[in-house]
Amino acid sequence: MRIEGEHVFSGSREDVWAMVRDPEVLAKLLPGTTKLNQLSESEYEGEINLRIGPILGSFSGRIFVEDEVPPESCTLKAEGEGRAGFFKGSGTVHLTEQDDGTLMVYEGDIQIGGKLASIGQRLIDMTSKTMIRQGMKGLDAALEERKAEAAD
Amino acid sequence: MSKAMDVTVTVNGEVYQKTIEPRLLLSDFIRHELNLSGTHVGCEQGVCGACTILFDGMPVRSCLMLAVQADGHEIRTVEDLGTMENLHPLQEAFQETHALQCGFCTSGFLMSILPVLEETTDLSEEDLKRALEGNLCRCTGYQHIRDAVQLAAEKMSSGGES
Amino acid sequence: MMAKLIGKRITRNEDPRLLTGQALFVDDVELPGMLHAAFLRSEYAHARLKGIDLSAALERPGVVAAFTAEDMGDDWSPGPPLVIPPPTIEDVEFYTRTQVPLVKDKVRHAGEPLAIVIAESRYIAEDALDDIVVDLEPLDVVTNIERALDPDSPLVHDDLESNIAAHLVQEKGDYAAIREGADKVIKRRIVIERGAAGAMENRGIVASWDIKQQQLTVWDTTQSPIPIRNGLASMFGLSEYQVRVIAPFVGGAFGPKIMMFYPEEVLLTWSTLKMGSPIKWIEDRRENFYATTQERGQVHEVELALTSDGRILGLRDDFLHDTGAYDPYGLTIPLNTQCHVLGPYEIPNFSSDLKVVFTNKTLTTPVRGAGRPQGVYVIERMLDIAARELGIDRVEIRKRNYLPNDVFPYDNVIIDQAFESFIIDSGDYLPAMEKALEMISYEKFTQEEQPKLREEGRRVGIGVVSFIETTGVGPYEGARVTIESSGKISVATGVGTQGQGHFTSFAQIVAERLGVDVRDVHLVTGDTAQFHWGTGTFASRGAVVAANAVNAAALIVRGKVLELASEALETPEEELEIEDGVVRVAKIPTRYISLGDLAQRSNPLRGAVEPGTEPGLEGTAYFGPKYGATAFGTHAMIVEVDPETMIVEIKRYIIVEDCGTILNPLIVEGQLHGGVALGIGNSFYEKLVFDDNGQLLNASFADYLIPTAAEIPTIEIAHQVTPSPLNPLGSKGVGEAGAIPVPALFAQAVENALDVEGLEILESPLSPQRLFELFHGEEKDA
Repeated sequence: MRIEGEHVFSGSREDVWAMVRDPEVLAKLLPGTTKLNQLSESEYEGEINLRIGPILGSFSGRIFVEDEVPPESCTLKAEGEGRAGFFKGSGTVHLTEQDDGTLMVYEGDIQIGGKLASIGQRLIDMTSKTMIRQGMKGLDAALEERKAEAAD
Repeated sequence: MSKAMDVTVTVNGEVYQKTIEPRLLLSDFIRHELNLSGTHVGCEQGVCGACTILFDGMPVRSCLMLAVQADGHEIRTVEDLGTMENLHPLQEAFQETHALQCGFCTSGFLMSILPVLEETTDLSEEDLKRALEGNLCRCTGYQHIRDAVQLAAEKMSSGGES
Repeated sequence: MMAKLIGKRITRNEDPRLLTGQALFVDDVELPGMLHAAFLRSEYAHARLKGIDLSAALERPGVVAAFTAEDMGDDWSPGPPLVIPPPTIEDVEFYTRTQVPLVKDKVRHAGEPLAIVIAESRYIAEDALDDIVVDLEPLDVVTNIERALDPDSPLVHDDLESNIAAHLVQEKGDYAAIREGADKVIKRRIVIERGAAGAMENRGIVASWDIKQQQLTVWDTTQSPIPIRNGLASMFGLSEYQVRVIAPFVGGAFGPKIMMFYPEEVLLTWSTLKMGSPIKWIEDRRENFYATTQERGQVHEVELALTSDGRILGLRDDFLHDTGAYDPYGLTIPLNTQCHVLGPYEIPNFSSDLKVVFTNKTLTTPVRGAGRPQGVYVIERMLDIAARELGIDRVEIRKRNYLPNDVFPYDNVIIDQAFESFIIDSGDYLPAMEKALEMISYEKFTQEEQPKLREEGRRVGIGVVSFIETTGVGPYEGARVTIESSGKISVATGVGTQGQGHFTSFAQIVAERLGVDVRDVHLVTGDTAQFHWGTGTFASRGAVVAANAVNAAALIVRGKVLELASEALETPEEELEIEDGVVRVAKIPTRYISLGDLAQRSNPLRGAVEPGTEPGLEGTAYFGPKYGATAFGTHAMIVEVDPETMIVEIKRYIIVEDCGTILNPLIVEGQLHGGVALGIGNSFYEKLVFDDNGQLLNASFADYLIPTAAEIPTIEIAHQVTPSPLNPLGSKGVGEAGAIPVPALFAQAVENALDVEGLEILESPLSPQRLFELFHGEEKDA
């Protein structure tokens, strides 16, 4: 399944980059995340509760950050498994400074297997879009918070 | 652990009181608690219709309901329709037209069609199509089932039992 | 003597039970102390098993036991091969790799079982599956049969050098030579995808080991209880007499239930023997999509060489057959394909290179048609294309190539699934075609109606295809007929019944031979305690092999009846007749003795039974045909395609069917209707969609579309009867006939309807989306 899109954040590229690399913020990016630990510079592990239609399950997973070119781009790889299935994906994130803020362009591919795949197909697309939208909102909020704190 | 719940259900005119888990499916309740195995389970996904029973007179998929939802309600299953010695006209029609082969989907069809014919025996092509669309059969190709419904309509309109 | 009952439209004996919910299916079996099993299945299609931890599952209240492959110890072993490759073909490369009871080293298809949990209820057992911790290391997956042959493809079986499960070449004449002199050579690639059988009843097993009686009883939704009983006895060191396998009423089978020694059959038996409790396992629908076998996947590179007037000089069909993760069923399906590519046509030169390929998908074993639909699809499509390219009418080109009536039995030389050279016993193809054309008003439609409708912009099309169907293969079946002292007749035979009406069609034969009412003949099928010699219900053979055994047994009893009655009535046998349950002197009808009285007489409590005679009025007989009888027919249909939605509406559907002597036309019609419905599903609505990770994306009826009544038209049937010389009844099978030609017919009719220059349909199944792409000339993604 292909995932792609873009979002404009009202903040500098450095701020957005810092946020994306902050596990606490990342956890907000993925709604349903119950735990996200940074194991090293480029590796995270955690747990997330996913719901796709009638399928609800917790997954344990890992995220790897590769090909970092701060604050411009990086490649994210993720994989996880749980009762309801498994997933594996990779994508790139590009940040470009523009007049009204920072443009984030993301694109990637995610493969889903197990119950999720065999019964949840028709809902996966919709659910992933919803999750991403929520994630972006979460990032927006986190960015605002940081700006507010910085202002104090 | 699931707490047990008491339910009182009237099935085919008889009142049953049972203590069950809340998550017990109505189909499993009917088949295994009440030992009425004429209702069959084909998919547990609500698509095939084999598990169709009458719930307060309405055809419903018993695999999509919980037994606790039937508390205080009336259920009719295929066992109520007729006996081997005394078939309901709808059942007779099914036999006469060879509208069943393996018989697994049959009770679902009977319980789906019965309320339609009890309401009217004057069925249009569209009515007939509507009456049958919700049940899957892999054996018959449906043609004889269509014949059975038409034959049953004739039998029931000329004063057959309802 | 005129048949009174055989061939009559008699309603079924078994219906009252089925209609009133009084018929026993496997899930209806309830035994005291019965436990329930659930299987943990791999989600990954290809993965190495590093470890399984059952401890949490075992701690769950209500869980009684849980086992993995390791727990099975020496009892663990891959299943026996069910069909060996034919010893009659030279140079067959074949690698036997059969399914395992529980995964030991690696997972080879999504849904392969990793562990079994046994608990007090199915609900608890399924809960406990989530407690099990499995360490699986995912491996690269191979799903496409062509890519599976790439040198760098992941290997389904590591001990093999490639994913080739089998390779053989079958030839007749010299295709390469004849090709040189051909006026026309047509070459095409045809791709056919998998479908599921989709019986309404999922599989199920109840296995019960009674320690005190040292008796194992297994209820199983199987099409072949006798081989299961023999195999389980052998596997577990029991005497065959200690094992009883019962196939009660089975809710449809269509092939996958003939697969034997499924992991679940082995595990349930092993577990009950170990635990001493009855255990039940009922498959759920999603499991069925993974754990029950499927069929149809093939890729053909085919070439047809013809003269300029459309006579076939030769055919070459090189193809790949997808066997999934294992190959217990040998070459049965692709051999059927090879034979059916020849069709009812005279094809003097033929060459076919077949490769069977392993993939990380559910294993393939026969589904109604069993490789025949693919063969028919190939030849019928090629003839359609040849007709177009040569400017010959499609009906005409078929007529020019039909085998003439004086060639039968016709030896096609190549080896078929029964290991013999493929001989067609009898055929009469031209009248079947003519009749179909007449019924569908072919000329009127193509000359008048279609052009007019086309002018209005309507996409209407017509299709006509011919086909053959091999049926009635051996080795044999048996039956026992007994007249009881009540005068009722009991019959037992080893085949099982999954809706085919054996309780009636076989009863008709017995009732006719013994002069009784059909309703007074009580039949038992599928219970090894009642009859334990035979193979099973498959390959459209019940009405041929089992029915002829029933017939032979009934005739033995008839002989005994007449002999004994002759003595009792002091009248020569020739002057006696049997009717209405009595034997009477034809000219003096008041002088008679009832069958019941005769039965009592034959089994005296006093007096002597002469040496060399048998007590009772009972006969057992076996029948094994020399080779399979070949049925045939022509199907025709008229369709209309909505150019915006690409939905295909079938306006008319015609079948002209020749299955030899018909036992019960009502039942034959039912089989044809059901077969066509499955065929329509195969053609347009049903496709098992696997992604590159071997994940089945539509494992539910919501997404795998079995046709409803709205999609299946009314079917008009005409029968032709060309009796088979291979058996006394003259019957041929018909169980799969409805399904076999449908995809070929669909493709032809829809192509005709779309009426786009250069449009060729070379794949199955189709779909509205795919038709849209073809219609607008878009290429499918590779």
